[in-house]
Amino acid sequence: MDQALLLLLDAANYVLVIVLVAMGLVIVFGLMRVINMAHGELFLLGAYTLVMLQQAGVSYWLGLVAATVFVGLVGLLMEELVIRHIYHRFLDTILATWGLSIAIKQAVVLIFGPGAQSTTAPFTAQIDLFGTPYPAYRLFIMGVALLVVGGTFYLFFRTRFGLAARAVIANRNTAACLGIPTRAFDRATFAYGAALAGLAGAVMAPIMSVDPQMGLGFLIPAFLAILVGGAGHLGGPVLGAGLIGATDSVTASLWSPVLAQVVVFTMAVVAIRLFPGGLLKSGGRR
Amino acid sequence: MSRLGFLRDRRTAVDVAVWGGLAALPLFMGAWQVGQIAQYLTYGIFAMSLALIWGQCGLLSFGHAVFFGLGAYAMSLTTLGMLPGLEGRTSSYLGVVLALLLPALIANVLGRFLFYGRGLQGAQLAIVMLAVAVIAERIMTRWSYAGGMNGLMSVPPVNLGAFGFTYDLYDPLPLFYGTLVAAVLVYVLLESLVRSRRGVVLRALGADEARTGFLGHDTRALKLAVFTLSAAVAGFAGALFASQFGFVSPPLIGFGLSTEVLIWVALGGRRALITAFLGAIVVRLAENALGDLLGPAWLLGLGLLFVLCMIFLPRGLLGEAYWRLIGGAGGR
Repeated sequence: MDQALLLLLDAANYVLVIVLVAMGLVIVFGLMRVINMAHGELFLLGAYTLVMLQQAGVSYWLGLVAATVFVGLVGLLMEELVIRHIYHRFLDTILATWGLSIAIKQAVVLIFGPGAQSTTAPFTAQIDLFGTPYPAYRLFIMGVALLVVGGTFYLFFRTRFGLAARAVIANRNTAACLGIPTRAFDRATFAYGAALAGLAGAVMAPIMSVDPQMGLGFLIPAFLAILVGGAGHLGGPVLGAGLIGATDSVTASLWSPVLAQVVVFTMAVVAIRLFPGGLLKSGGRR
Repeated sequence: MSRLGFLRDRRTAVDVAVWGGLAALPLFMGAWQVGQIAQYLTYGIFAMSLALIWGQCGLLSFGHAVFFGLGAYAMSLTTLGMLPGLEGRTSSYLGVVLALLLPALIANVLGRFLFYGRGLQGAQLAIVMLAVAVIAERIMTRWSYAGGMNGLMSVPPVNLGAFGFTYDLYDPLPLFYGTLVAAVLVYVLLESLVRSRRGVVLRALGADEARTGFLGHDTRALKLAVFTLSAAVAGFAGALFASQFGFVSPPLIGFGLSTEVLIWVALGGRRALITAFLGAIVVRLAENALGDLLGPAWLLGLGLLFVLCMIFLPRGLLGEAYWRLIGGAGGR
C-alpha cells in the first residue's frame, strides 16, 4: 500500500513538471505557430541560473524568482533576434530554435564545463502522508506546478488579456483588425512561455543532476504530451502529460526505464494515428 | 562543341565538375587524407538522403541517423557473422541488402502511422523522429547482443568477392574510388528522380500539400514512398561507413549524428542534392581543421552559423552560390 502511494506521488510529481514544460511550449505554438526546440535549453538555463545564484550566496527563493525572470528575458531576446524574422516559415522556425538550443547548450558547456552541478533544496524535511514519509520539497514542486497551471488557465480564460490572446490564436488577422497589438502579444507570450520553462528548471534543479544535457529529457516527453493531448487547447498538454507521465512512471517502476520510454513512445505514435488532432480537439476549427 | 553540348545545362556542368574534381583529389593528397575523405563521402550519401525528403518534400526529420545507424548495425552484424541462423553467411552483399531493407521497413511502418494523421501540421515527423533517435540510442546502449555501450569492433571491410574470388576494399585508394562510385550511383539515382516529372510533384508537395492533393496526387503515398527510399539510402550510407570505419557504436544511431546531418545539409543547401552532399564534406573538413583549435567553441559557432543561415540564407551557403550559378532555373 505504501509502495502504491509512493508510486502515485512520484507519478504525480513527474506529470506536473511535464505539464509545466509543455504549457510553455503549447502557448507559444498556439499563438505563434512556432515549435520551440530551444525550450529544453530554457529549462536548462533556469536550473543553471538557480545553481549559480545559490553558489554566490543568494537565497533559494530569490534565485527562483531571478531564474524565472532571467529566462523570460532570454525568451524575449530570442523572439526579437531570431523568431521575429522567420515565424512565417514554419519548418525554419523549428530549425532556427534548434540551432539556438545547440548554441545555448554549448555556451553552458564552455562556461560551466560538461560536468554535473548540484544544489540543495531549501528544506529537506519529510512529511508524513497517510503514514508514509515523503520529501516536503517534492510536494512543494507539485504545489508550484499546480499554481502555475491554474494561474495560466486563469490568465487565458478569465482576464481581458487572455481573451485578446485567444482572439489572436483563433484568427490573427481579424484580431489585428480589431486593434489588438499582435506583435506585443507575440513578445509577451514567448517571454511567458520561456519564463515557465525557466521556473520549471529552477524548481527541479535541487532534485536532479544539473548538467548540459538535462533539457532534452524533459523536452521529448513534453512534445509527446502535446502530440497525444492536442495542441489546439490549453487542456491538451495537461491531459497528454497525465497519460504520458503516468504510463512512464508505472512502466519504469514495474519493468525498466528504457522499456518505459519505448512504451510511452509507442502509445504516443498510436494516439497520433487514432486521434490526429489530439485527444482533446478544440471545437473542430483550427 | 556538339559533343560537349550536354554541358550547356549548367546543372550537369556543375555535376561533372564536382564529381570530376572529387575523382582527381587523390592526385593532390596523401593516403591518410584520401581515407579520411572516403569516410566523408559516406556522410555525403547520408546528407543526400536527408536532402531528398527535406529539401524536396519538406519532410523534416530530427532523427535521420536512426536509419544510418540501423544500416551500420545491420551491415556489421551480418559481416561479423552474428545474425542468428545465418552465422555462416558473412557476405558484404547480404549486409548491404539488409542495410537497405531494415531501415526502409522501419521507415515505412513509422510513415504509415505519421503521414496518415495530422496533429501538429508538418512537425510531428520531426518530433517523433527526435524521440525515436533518443530511444534507439538508449536501446542500443543497453542491448548487449549488439555490443551495448562499447559497440561492435573489428567490422570487416567490404568484400567485393564473387564466384570464389575475393577482394577487400581496404587500402585508402581503392576504398576512396569504391565509395566514390557508390556515391555517384546514389546521386544519379536520386537526381534522376529529382529531375523527373515525379520530382516536380515532390517539390509541389513540399510547397503545398493540400493543393498537390487537389490535383489528384496521392500525397500520403508519395511521402511514404520517398521517406522509405530516403531511409534505405541512409542505411546504405551507414553500411559503407561501418565497413570503412570498422567500428559501430550507439552514437551512430542517435540524436547527435541526426543533428549533425541536419547542420551539414542546411549549411550546404537542402534544395539540391549536390549542395547537401558537398555540405557534409565541407563541414567535416572544416571541423577537422578547426575542431581541435576551437574545442567546444566550434559547436557553439556552428550552432550560431546555422541559426543565421536559417534566417538569412534558407538555401544554404553553397546552395546560394549554386542557385546563382545555374541561373535560378530548375534546381529549386
